[in-house]
Amino acid sequence: MIQQIPLSWYLIFAAMLFCVGLFGALARKNAIAILMGIELMLNAVNVNILAFWRFLYSDGVGGMVFVAVVFAAAAAEAAVGLALIISIYRRRNTVVADDIDLMKG
Amino acid sequence: MTNHLLSVILFFPVVAALAILVIPASRVKAIRWVSFVASLVPFLISLLVWLQFNPYQEGYQFEEQFIWYSAISSSYHIGIDGISLTMMLLTTLLTPLAILASFTISERVKAYMALFLMLETGMLGVFFALDLLLFFVFWEIGLVPMYFLIAQWGGEKRNYASIKFILYTMAGSLGLLLAIQLIGVTTGTFDLPKLMEIWKDKQLSIFGLSTSAVKAIAFWAFVVAFAIKVPVWPFHTWLPDAHTEAPTAGSMILAGVLLKLGAYGFLRLVLPLYPMESRQFGGALAILATLAIIFGALSAFSQNDFKRLVAYSSINHMGFVILGIAAAAWQAGSVNANLALNGAVLQMFNHGLSSAGMFFLVGVIYERTHTRKLEDYGGIYALVPVYGSILIFTAMSSLGLPGLNGFVSEFLVVRGALPVFVLPTALSMIGLFFTGAYILKALRSVLHGPVNEHLHGHLSEINLREILVIAPLMVLMLWIGLAPAWIVEVINRAVMFAFSAL
Amino acid sequence: MSTEMLIWLIPLPPLLAFALIVLFTYKKHALSHWIAVSAAGLSWLGSMVVFFSAAGKEGLSHEPFRSFINWLPTQRNFLQIGVQIDPLSAVMVFFVAWTVLMIFIYSIGYHNYGQPKGTADHPGLPPHGAALKKHKETGGMVPSVEPMYARFFALISLFAFAMFTLVVSDNLLTLYIGWELMGFCSYFLIGFWYAKPSARDAAVKAFLTTRVGDVFMLLGLVLLYSQTGSLSYADTLANPVVIEELAKHSSGILGLSIAGLIGLLIFIGVIGKSAQFPLHVWLPDAMEGPTPVSAMIHAATMVSAGVYLAIRVFPLISAGWEPGHALTPTMVVLASIGAFTALFAATIALAQNDIKRVLAYSTISQLGYMIAALGIGAYVAATFHLVMHAFFKALLFLGSGSVIHGVEHGVYHTGEHVDPQNMFNMGGLRKKMPVTFWTFLLGGLALSGFPLVTAGFWSKDEILSYAFKGDYFIVFVVLAVAALLTAFYTARQITLTFLGEARTKASSHAVESVKVMIIPLIILAVFAVTAGWSGIPQGFPLFGGILPNWFEEFVGSMVKESAPHGAGESGSLVPLLTSLVVSLGGLALGWWVYKDVRAGMNDPLERVLGRFYPLIKNKYYIDEFYQAAFIKPAIWIADKVAYQFLDKFLIDGFLHAVAKGTWRLGVIFRNFFDIPVVNGTGDAIGKGTQGLGDVLRKMQTGKIQQYMILSLLVVILVGVLFYLYFLLGRV
Repeated sequence: MIQQIPLSWYLIFAAMLFCVGLFGALARKNAIAILMGIELMLNAVNVNILAFWRFLYSDGVGGMVFVAVVFAAAAAEAAVGLALIISIYRRRNTVVADDIDLMKG
Repeated sequence: MTNHLLSVILFFPVVAALAILVIPASRVKAIRWVSFVASLVPFLISLLVWLQFNPYQEGYQFEEQFIWYSAISSSYHIGIDGISLTMMLLTTLLTPLAILASFTISERVKAYMALFLMLETGMLGVFFALDLLLFFVFWEIGLVPMYFLIAQWGGEKRNYASIKFILYTMAGSLGLLLAIQLIGVTTGTFDLPKLMEIWKDKQLSIFGLSTSAVKAIAFWAFVVAFAIKVPVWPFHTWLPDAHTEAPTAGSMILAGVLLKLGAYGFLRLVLPLYPMESRQFGGALAILATLAIIFGALSAFSQNDFKRLVAYSSINHMGFVILGIAAAAWQAGSVNANLALNGAVLQMFNHGLSSAGMFFLVGVIYERTHTRKLEDYGGIYALVPVYGSILIFTAMSSLGLPGLNGFVSEFLVVRGALPVFVLPTALSMIGLFFTGAYILKALRSVLHGPVNEHLHGHLSEINLREILVIAPLMVLMLWIGLAPAWIVEVINRAVMFAFSAL
Repeated sequence: MSTEMLIWLIPLPPLLAFALIVLFTYKKHALSHWIAVSAAGLSWLGSMVVFFSAAGKEGLSHEPFRSFINWLPTQRNFLQIGVQIDPLSAVMVFFVAWTVLMIFIYSIGYHNYGQPKGTADHPGLPPHGAALKKHKETGGMVPSVEPMYARFFALISLFAFAMFTLVVSDNLLTLYIGWELMGFCSYFLIGFWYAKPSARDAAVKAFLTTRVGDVFMLLGLVLLYSQTGSLSYADTLANPVVIEELAKHSSGILGLSIAGLIGLLIFIGVIGKSAQFPLHVWLPDAMEGPTPVSAMIHAATMVSAGVYLAIRVFPLISAGWEPGHALTPTMVVLASIGAFTALFAATIALAQNDIKRVLAYSTISQLGYMIAALGIGAYVAATFHLVMHAFFKALLFLGSGSVIHGVEHGVYHTGEHVDPQNMFNMGGLRKKMPVTFWTFLLGGLALSGFPLVTAGFWSKDEILSYAFKGDYFIVFVVLAVAALLTAFYTARQITLTFLGEARTKASSHAVESVKVMIIPLIILAVFAVTAGWSGIPQGFPLFGGILPNWFEEFVGSMVKESAPHGAGESGSLVPLLTSLVVSLGGLALGWWVYKDVRAGMNDPLERVLGRFYPLIKNKYYIDEFYQAAFIKPAIWIADKVAYQFLDKFLIDGFLHAVAKGTWRLGVIFRNFFDIPVVNGTGDAIGKGTQGLGDVLRKMQTGKIQQYMILSLLVVILVGVLFYLYFLLGRV
């Protein structure tokens, strides 16, 4: 069964997913949407990891562990990011990324 | 004997200075008293050292030696003989008195007192050091606090005076350092007693220079450094400025002790290390001494500033020290040389007493009138009879009135120098005459004559603290004048041991 | 107690008195003078005991009373100091003790002890008198007590200590100490009323003038010390071997032997102290001190010390001289300076109107007498005249003080403003002040050498006869003329002061001084007459041999004697007749010229002397000459040459030039190296970084998505580069 879906498909899928995420992160104005884009990119990475693991190194659990770590990081990132966005929204009443340019040199 | 009395004397003031830094700056009274009491400690210990000192034993006593910098074989080597003993007593006596005299300083008392105590360590170190490098280090240490004392607490022209003082002395020190290094490199040791042993036969060539050239360079470097400090005419012009602008206690120490460092350098280093060169140039030195005596007195005579007049008197008096040293250099080992050196060392001590006393008394009157111009005084004897009598007493000591200390040393110097240098000594009598002239000029314009009406009611009598400062000096002046044997015997023996072999 | 011990103690009571008064009793009048007078009394007592035991000892000159201690270590030896009484110091100590005690007692009265405090008195100025209530209607005043009463007694006590030290010391060093200490005290006492500018200047003048001599004297002492290794009389002056040795070698200076040179140097000190020409100028000015007492100290005591020293070092001065042979160069100097001074000062005394100044010049003149006597080898005669002169001159000075005091009283009483010291304001005091008159008369007669009864006759006669016998004809003539002038001005003084009628109201209201002042006068008057009888020459016509010539025997044992002594013996009456003529003639002439002087008259001498009068009146303009020739140039040299030119211009100028040069060099380095090169490089680095920052900051927009795009582009770029690198790398 598994042999019928070749590795490249997984990789193409992951790449597409990544591009969607990238587009979302770069093009959307809403900070939450940017965050969602980032989550998508992370998931694309996970897919890649799992695919490579399954096809090339299936005798260990390394791939799963990596994915778990990435999930944890993603979750933490989402939590912190959302908290930041909420905090910014409360102060400045906006979630538009372009308006938040305090770091301008 | 392996007690560490000398080290205690030497470093106690530094420790005390550090302790003073801990006291809050606002508690001025506490700072003053702590530093005064702290400066008494070295004095008391030095009295103990004086009692334990054996004048009939040759060589250095109370010696201490630790490796300090083994790579260049320099060690912390200290010790005293009769000459340094006298100078030590002078230093440890004058420092508490000077501190007591500066109780009227009210600005930045903490820094002032700390610097003063550091100064004491620097001066004592020079007298104690038996290692050339150590000597140099203490020589420079003494310089810095004095610079700050003049520059921070001095009179109107203090910037000019302090810069002149430090640049002049530094210029001399450069040569001194060079010469010390030259000796160290060529002989491989800085240790003075060891150096004396090997010095004579040692070949000292370096950089292709011959032994005699090396010696001559080192000799002149030493002489110039010490001559500036003494000061020998014509290196003297920093002195009137520095003395005049320094705060009262600074002038006391400057005239009382710092000038002695130069003369001490001549005695400790130049004469023993360079007997040949000294003999060769002894005549020139005697002529400079005579010029110092004559022109010092004449310049003092022409002054209208009381403090400056006293400052110039130092040049005049130190001229006699140099005359004695020159005579000893010329006729090393003879009775004349011995007497001349006795006189020179005693003159150093006596000048320490009388010039410190004079500067202090000038300071006392300055604090009350805020003027140093002779014509602004006049007739104050009627207003302040006790002060007037003390001033006359001290001035007479400075003048060399027989019965007081100055005469004994001047007599000895002249006795030693006359058979050696007939003409210079005879000419220096002109200076001796003008010594009388300028002292009387000062007394005449300050104390005598009609009372200056501006001073009426503004002038208070000398107070108890001030009397306590001057009283020990007066007692010593009288004591040495009437019965000089106790101190001359110590000097005499030391001079015999140190110079009779040359 | 042994005599030696007692000698040590003689000088101490006055020193103790000085210390006590200065430290404790300076506010109490009575206590202070009691301490001082009893100290002088103790010293007097000790001196008398010592004197009489010395007079009773056989061979004292060879075995003097002597005791010494080690004082100053000098290599392996000691410089020793000690005390000694030999015949010379014995007679010194005798008259010093007497005169000092008399001065002390007299001073109590002179400083108006017991009088009220002055109304306007101020320390530093003489008392101005006190107003009394009962005199209010006349405006009259009475003398007031000296405001610095205790201080005066302290100072003369110190003075007495110094004089005693000088006399009893056995060596030249302690003698010098006493000598200088006395100079210091006289400085203090002349300037006692220090607030008076004239007194202040006189004090400085006295100290400095004598100091000129003192520095030479110090050289002489040092030379002696370095030649012989000792300063004690026993080892040097009284040791013929040493003296001979010193006389043999030439010093190479002015052709003098070493002994002669030392003698000359010490003699220059004597010139200063004993006010001989050319250093005599200080003595007349010294009369600025409290009138009779300090003047008397300067007349009878301190200046005598100078002559004493000259007598003391006579062995050096005369080293190599045999009586009857040519004088040594140093003796010639003594003889000429002494004789010249005797005449010169006597001429000045002729034209002085101040009663004390006349005495001051007469002192100079008499001291010249002694020096001249010593110069021709009359050792005993010089000593004799020294002692006699001390007594009668002390008497005269104290008498003049009493006169001034009396006239001052008149001035206070009448309110008339006249100078109480000017003799032309006096006259007729004979009746007002009988005791003062009679004692002063005796003193004056002694000074002028009134024959037979006075001490001055015997001593002067001895000098004159010695000069005549020794064929020192010039000295003889000069001294005889000086004696004539002396008799003349003494008669002038006595006539103007005491005889005739009062020339001012103050003078007519003068009163006799208090007992405490006139008793010393009487005692001294006794000595002024009788002291001379101790030295009547054996061969003197009629009187010789009635009394033994004790003085000659006693003091004469100090020197190997001496051919032409005892003038009368060989029978020439020339010197005797000369002294009779000059003394009686001078006295008579003086009386005759001045007996009719009335108030407001000029000095009759003015007419007689013509153009010479202003010259002597102004003391030959010597003060003015010194001012122009020495003092002004010295001040100019000190200021302009030593200070301004050498120190300020030359040395400091050089230093400042070096400093300025260094500064310039620094400026050059700064402008041409530091600023362009070192600073330039540093600044360029800074500026460049800043510029770069300015460019780069524009990229930092703060917009997160731009950053992300940028980093995406970078990633792509890097990826492309990597790809190309590996691609090309493989190719």
